[in-house]
Amino acid sequence: MNASAPDAPQAQGKRWVEADGVHIDVRGLPPPVPLVAILELVESIGDATPVIVHHERDPQMLYPELAEIGWRAARIDGAPGEVRLKLERVR
Amino acid sequence: MKQAAGAFIAGAASRLLPPSIPFRFFGAAVAYHLLAWIALFAGAQSVPHFAGGLGWPLAALHLVTLGVLVMTAIGASLQLLPVATRQPVRSQRGPAMIWWLYTPGVAAVALGMGLPAPRLLAGGAVAVVAALGGYALLLARNLVGAKGMPVVVAHGWAALGSLVVVLATALSLACAYLGFSGFGRGMELSLHVTFAAYGFMGLLALGLSYILVPMFALSAAPDERRAWISLTLAVTALLLSAAASSGIAQQPLRMAAIGSGTVAVALHLRLMSVALKTGMRRELGRSFTLVRIAWSLLVVSLVAALGVAMDAPVSGMATLFGILLIGGWLLTFLVGILQRIMPFLASMHAAPSKRLPPTPSSLTAQRPLAIHFVCHLAALALLALAVVTGSEKVASVGALVGCVGAAAFACFFLIVLTRMSAPDLKVGRRQASAG
Repeated sequence: MNASAPDAPQAQGKRWVEADGVHIDVRGLPPPVPLVAILELVESIGDATPVIVHHERDPQMLYPELAEIGWRAARIDGAPGEVRLKLERVR
Repeated sequence: MKQAAGAFIAGAASRLLPPSIPFRFFGAAVAYHLLAWIALFAGAQSVPHFAGGLGWPLAALHLVTLGVLVMTAIGASLQLLPVATRQPVRSQRGPAMIWWLYTPGVAAVALGMGLPAPRLLAGGAVAVVAALGGYALLLARNLVGAKGMPVVVAHGWAALGSLVVVLATALSLACAYLGFSGFGRGMELSLHVTFAAYGFMGLLALGLSYILVPMFALSAAPDERRAWISLTLAVTALLLSAAASSGIAQQPLRMAAIGSGTVAVALHLRLMSVALKTGMRRELGRSFTLVRIAWSLLVVSLVAALGVAMDAPVSGMATLFGILLIGGWLLTFLVGILQRIMPFLASMHAAPSKRLPPTPSSLTAQRPLAIHFVCHLAALALLALAVVTGSEKVASVGALVGCVGAAAFACFFLIVLTRMSAPDLKVGRRQASAG
């Protein structure tokens, strides 16, 4: 896993690392920036580390892209008004 | 709490229409695509010298414009705009009713033109205008509620304005075949062609490209200021062209319209080029080869438009312009995008499965697309050659090759549908709904 250091400012979305995986917050970014930022992060991860996405909406166009690179998404509890997803490598 | 990502996609607040809705529009478009080439084959002897008027070439033209281009635009825009502009789907019955009115309406228009049977044509035109009026209301509601993407929304409004002109002129032209006089056939025809191809369809294509191209190339959103300038110039071009159609300073206004349109297109293509060059995904395959060819032919269509405006002494210039504009730009662009959108949407709809949803690439059959690619481009080249040489035989061969390409595209579509509804996917869906 070669994700960036906690709270390091990124060009697209805020990233940090916690015990449950690498987090990325793409709230407030216009489309298709969240899609690109999430895929950039996912593709930079070389092992089974999960990615936790903090989004303001259901990123429907993300799922086919994730499937194409062997990842899947599952919704987990998040703050009110937030869509939080856990992305995991499946193959 | 942990739930499969797709489970909440399928919820009441979903921005996705049920797959049966966009796919019924795409399915009808695929069928009309094949019928268009068959109609062109039936009227191949008139193609080299086609200058309008009832008959199978006119039927083929409208099977492409209404049957393929507009049919797909309805399905794609009703599905993509709510997703892109962050709003729930408000009506499922509305799009379904539009399909039931529009699809037989297009068939009646095409048959009425081909046979010819003016009453059938007029009846079909009424159904098509009513259906497109309903679509215009749905599109307007989507645009009013849109959040974000203002430049895409503005393209939608400009396309909607163009649609009003197209519908008004279409009704008037159809009524002329029943003996009613309108504002003059030349003016109506000029407005109809320009606002249908460059206005309604063209602006929808340019606007949706600001969503689709960065999405497929995985690039940043195009520069919004330049996109606004491109749209302003495109709308200016349409207004100048409308003024020219009224008969005042016809040639200078037409040339100014073409100039404005050319700069608009150049700016748009520059933005698309940047998106493709800077995107994470550089290899976009055959579909984007078609899109790139379509963009080139859009530029060539403007050169041909200049030739028509200046009365260039080239035999069949107006027909050549029509082939470049409708076949070369719009149809080529559409089949390029459609072969990417259909598996992508199919995969999005498959996401409710708790298992890994099928990938867009696993839903795509490459062989039929390879056959279509070659046949589509060869057919267009042969049609252009037929017009330049005045050869009916070359037109027949071109139409036949087009039929083979369209049949291959239909195979691709059926394979997407079959793979989308494969049993393992159904099992996954049942598991998702039980979970």
